[in-house]
Amino acid sequence: MADRNLIRNFSIIAHIDHGKSTLADRILELTDSVSKREMEEQILDNMDIERERGITVKARAVKMSYKSDDGNTYEFNLIDTPGHVDFNYEVSRSLAACEGALLVVDATQGIEAQTLANTYLAIENNLEILPVVNKIDLVSADIEGTRKEIEDIIGIPASDCPCVSAKTGLNVKDLLERIVTDVPAPSGDENAPLKCLIFDSYYDSYKGVVVYVRVQDGKVRAGTRIKMMNTGAVFDVVEVGYMSAFGLVPSDEISAGEVGYITASIKTVSDTRVGDTVTEESRPTDTPFPGFKKAQPMVFAGIYPEDGADYEALKDALLKLQLNDASLTFEPETSIALGFGFRCGFLGLLHMEIMEERLEREFDLDIITTAPSVIYKVLMKNGETRLIDNPAVYPDPDEIDEAQEPVVDANIIVPTEYVGGIMDLCQKRRGIYINMKYIDTKRAELRYTLPLNEIIYDFFDSLKSRSKGYASLDYELKGYMTSNLVKLDILINGEKVDALSFIVFADNAYTRGRKIAVALKDNIPRQLFEIPIQASVGGRVIARETVKAMRKDVLAKCYGGDITRKKKLLEKQKEGKKKMRKLGSVEVPPETFTAVLKMDEED
Amino acid sequence: MKKLGVYIHVPFCVHKCSYCDFYSVTQLFEAGEYFRALKEQIMSFKSYLKDWTADSVYIGGGTPSCVDPKYIVETMETLKSVIRFVDNPEITIESNPGTLDTFKIKSYLNCGINRLSMGLQSADDDELKMISRIHDKSGFESSYMLARMLGFRNINVDIMYALPGQKEETLMNTIDYVTSLDPEHISFYGLRVEEGTPLASQEELLAKIPDEDVQYNMYIHAAKRLEKAGYTQYEISNFSKKRMMCRHNCRYWKSGDYIGFGPGAASFINGELYSYTKDLYGFISKPTDYFSNVEKSEKLTLDQQATQYIMLGLRLARGVEAKEYKLRFGRDLEEDYGEKIQKYIDLKYAKRTDKGFRLTRAGLLVSNTILSDILDFS
Repeated sequence: MADRNLIRNFSIIAHIDHGKSTLADRILELTDSVSKREMEEQILDNMDIERERGITVKARAVKMSYKSDDGNTYEFNLIDTPGHVDFNYEVSRSLAACEGALLVVDATQGIEAQTLANTYLAIENNLEILPVVNKIDLVSADIEGTRKEIEDIIGIPASDCPCVSAKTGLNVKDLLERIVTDVPAPSGDENAPLKCLIFDSYYDSYKGVVVYVRVQDGKVRAGTRIKMMNTGAVFDVVEVGYMSAFGLVPSDEISAGEVGYITASIKTVSDTRVGDTVTEESRPTDTPFPGFKKAQPMVFAGIYPEDGADYEALKDALLKLQLNDASLTFEPETSIALGFGFRCGFLGLLHMEIMEERLEREFDLDIITTAPSVIYKVLMKNGETRLIDNPAVYPDPDEIDEAQEPVVDANIIVPTEYVGGIMDLCQKRRGIYINMKYIDTKRAELRYTLPLNEIIYDFFDSLKSRSKGYASLDYELKGYMTSNLVKLDILINGEKVDALSFIVFADNAYTRGRKIAVALKDNIPRQLFEIPIQASVGGRVIARETVKAMRKDVLAKCYGGDITRKKKLLEKQKEGKKKMRKLGSVEVPPETFTAVLKMDEED
Repeated sequence: MKKLGVYIHVPFCVHKCSYCDFYSVTQLFEAGEYFRALKEQIMSFKSYLKDWTADSVYIGGGTPSCVDPKYIVETMETLKSVIRFVDNPEITIESNPGTLDTFKIKSYLNCGINRLSMGLQSADDDELKMISRIHDKSGFESSYMLARMLGFRNINVDIMYALPGQKEETLMNTIDYVTSLDPEHISFYGLRVEEGTPLASQEELLAKIPDEDVQYNMYIHAAKRLEKAGYTQYEISNFSKKRMMCRHNCRYWKSGDYIGFGPGAASFINGELYSYTKDLYGFISKPTDYFSNVEKSEKLTLDQQATQYIMLGLRLARGVEAKEYKLRFGRDLEEDYGEKIQKYIDLKYAKRTDKGFRLTRAGLLVSNTILSDILDFS
């Protein structure tokens, strides 16, 4: 059994590209958890999506052994946290499993909005914050400036904080010593009733769900009958152990202060919600962890197979994804245009994009995703309140007393020279200005209340393009606001295409309608007849485009009697037609739907 | 006696035109070897062809007119020794106007060739240059006059539309110019950018190709102009004076039998559809080895032949005929296609005739879309 005084549980908070993964890798090396060679092969082998986007999607944890200069050998548990606002709740639970957090700040960039948000989360969770100035090997590193910024903005002392280069390994050893001295040892009573915090879980096809926990009190071993306090589910523990850099290492038991995993033949991750408390069924704790909340999807979209025959495969894939991600919700939905599919709920747009990519990459499915929607609150004249996450079922305007849309508090940190452009963007996106603070002479922090609907389209991309990539964004749901909303319908050849309906702020209906019509015109191939495309609001046409009739598609010379060639060509053409979606008599390539949704608002 | 068309491929060109994807090489010095091999291949079919009579020969390429005419003469001799001919067969040779001379023309006429096809493409020298043709308008004109003087009574002139930089006006000038020369036949076809051709990567030229709507107008207006000048459209890309349709090509479109010789040549005989590999040296080394030369071959079922009949027959202005369909394939045209063609009739892309149905001119121009929809090749 581990001596609690020799345990240090910590996580790393950092903005994208500020060196979190590199620092984690260095720490793993210095604690001899992995060799340099293995580092390349094993540790960086994350999800493609994570590597490409430079973000962590899933929390991870790893146990290390560190021999300190004080002669003791410490057990370090590094809990890696997701770094995106969509996963805020997961971040807060990961942090709650630790006693300390390394706040890594890039000495060439300074503090970013995301770092700030996560640091506040850490402070709320009573964590000891250990600032770390990184990238000091770079010429442009401003160590003193960065230290000052940490003190000014976050308000924690940083004058003697470790300054490292995760890339070269410079001073990382000192940092490890500081973890020993500065991060408190975990508290807890191993004789008290079992109390563990779930901070992540994933589905393994051999073991069932593997639950990552921080044990607060008590101990757990194979055979313990455990209970999930919020979901009420009860299981017999099959195995417990630790997470090494290379995978799970079983052990006899894990006890108060430790970080480890539990398996119990659990079939679905929805029984093991992040934030829930694991206790012993026969002797439950009377102080479960507070603040458990079920992850609430904020963004909804329809997902359809490109090929209708893949419906069952899509369902299977979603079920499998859900095994690992309880925050993904879905239910069957039917669209006249797209056939059978699913209405899916996501934590945010990034979460949605990740799911789309995983469906395509891991399950090899071609899918069509409809425009993302938020949940609108509609107060009906008959007194009823309806929550609408699908534009297709938006009530008739005559029956609506008041429509409300969700708004967020957005916090944007941006170099001062781009403030104008960003304010203009927020204005355009119906933002309500709250305040602006100068962080230093170079950067400002802007706060706006913004409709969530305006953020989910391409706000983040616009933000980046207007700030040469320097602006950073963080937001949290604030509540609902009365709004003048209308439903925008798209008609192709006179027929309403349900999958292309949008809920939109009334003043933006014309611009958006026209853009969609133009995008459709550009994406629908010419056919043997003229196809009108209309955008309409409440039955009133507000934009119209026309796909002209095809005039020429002929193999002029059937030369030398080479019929085979012509036949091949026609067969290929026939194949291509099969993929088309039929909207009445109009054939639309499946990519059209995606292309229309990917329109760049800045155009 | 069953009638047959014979196709002879001459895979040589002085220079490859940038848009062309037919098989030809510029190693003219291999002509001697090639024609020796060709003779061997034709000879080897003697017994196979004993029940057939040739009523048309088409010597195409490549550029048959770029090789020494003695090879053409010899090939005709060989052909006559392996297959019987009908009285008055149609024997066509393709030519590039820049490669003709008195001796060649006389040689062709003397060995029985009675139809000359001339690849003018455009009477606008700038347009010709753009598609890297080696001749010009005046060269064409003197070759044309020479051919007439020396005795060709059946001449076809090729005209292309949708060329880079071409305007409807310059196209009409070409049409007027050609019709003023009064050839018996005019092939009028659109440029297609084929994958792998030099043109396909010449962005600058591609950008100059007229757009679809302009092409449509070019086609429709030129067709009307040709009709006004006394030419009747009998196929998507072919116009002729009365009774001067190309017999050989009509055989293709009516899904009749034909046999091809030389690399790249295609054949459809006794229900078998096959074509030779586009490999000059492979052919020269083993001209009589059917298996090493055949690239693709398929024996068509009667139903597949019926589909092919529709595919090709709808290229013809007169369309497909129920009686012939029944007679040849034992199937009912209305039952097979009546419903499928109706929507195109409604859109005015097709029309019923007293014998069956046909595509309208606008329909011909989008025939790929229509055919790929109504035909089932499986």
